[in-house]
Amino acid sequence: MDTQRGKSWNPYAAGALSGLVSIGSVYFADKYLGASTTFVRTAGIIEQQFAPDRVKTMEYFIKEKPIVDWQTLFVAGIFLGALFAALMFNDFKKQAIPPMWEKRFGSSVTKRALFAFLGGAVAMFGARLADG
Amino acid sequence: MNPLLYGLITGVLFGFLLQRGGVLRYERQIGALRLMDMTILKFMLSSIIVAMVGIYFLKDMGLVKLNLKPTILGAQIIGGLIFGLGWGVLGYCPGTQMGALGEGRWDALWGIMGMLLGAAIFAEVFPLMKASVLTWGVYGKITLPQILGINHWVIIVPFVIVSIGLFLWFEKKGL
Repeated sequence: MDTQRGKSWNPYAAGALSGLVSIGSVYFADKYLGASTTFVRTAGIIEQQFAPDRVKTMEYFIKEKPIVDWQTLFVAGIFLGALFAALMFNDFKKQAIPPMWEKRFGSSVTKRALFAFLGGAVAMFGARLADG
Repeated sequence: MNPLLYGLITGVLFGFLLQRGGVLRYERQIGALRLMDMTILKFMLSSIIVAMVGIYFLKDMGLVKLNLKPTILGAQIIGGLIFGLGWGVLGYCPGTQMGALGEGRWDALWGIMGMLLGAAIFAEVFPLMKASVLTWGVYGKITLPQILGINHWVIIVPFVIVSIGLFLWFEKKGL
């Protein structure tokens, strides 16, 4: 990258610092970092609005309770932290379609939306199966 | 202190570093899968090395505990393959898409909604999975040093050395 705008940090340095954040989380809060359980709990919270009795009897929602917990706030924090960093370093960019996608698959927002949605559903199913 | 507050602070720090590392973009994620851009690998491996050394050091001091997930080969191999398919189409991970949204890449919203659906579907079929895939190759909470019967530093030190070798190679090749 040859311009100052949005210039990222060295990925080794940023990665190493994030490793320190992981250590701090384990040391101070006894929490290992993770994100995908939050999607289960949040799906459970949404389903509860429509069918509370059914959610109560579902084995997976008994295992992963539909609640807001440490990880929910961790996931929300990732959004906020990235937002702060992007604004602070003039790197915020509103973008509907990634350039690499557009180059290969065209500029249809609907097409990107459909595939991103399906990709997300498949990815999360796999992540939950692997318990990661 | 309230665990929710710890979660929020940890998330903000982590999201900040993901953004500064430049790893939130679709181009970086797909670039890694296409073996064109190793930025994500540099970030991830650096993070793993530091955390691995730090956490095992603290564990040796008796200050922290490991939190192992059980090894279930069937679930992790099949789940991993399915995850990879979806990841390659979406171009964001569960955690990083929140950061991608934070830096303005709002197509991550579709991924977030899709992931909520994927989680809901998994919750529906969980009893079925529990009776099948989740019983294939169950090894319990194991670690490499434990199954090899060696001290963990015998794994960690070579892991760090090989990773640094890989980094040098990435830089030489301009990846």
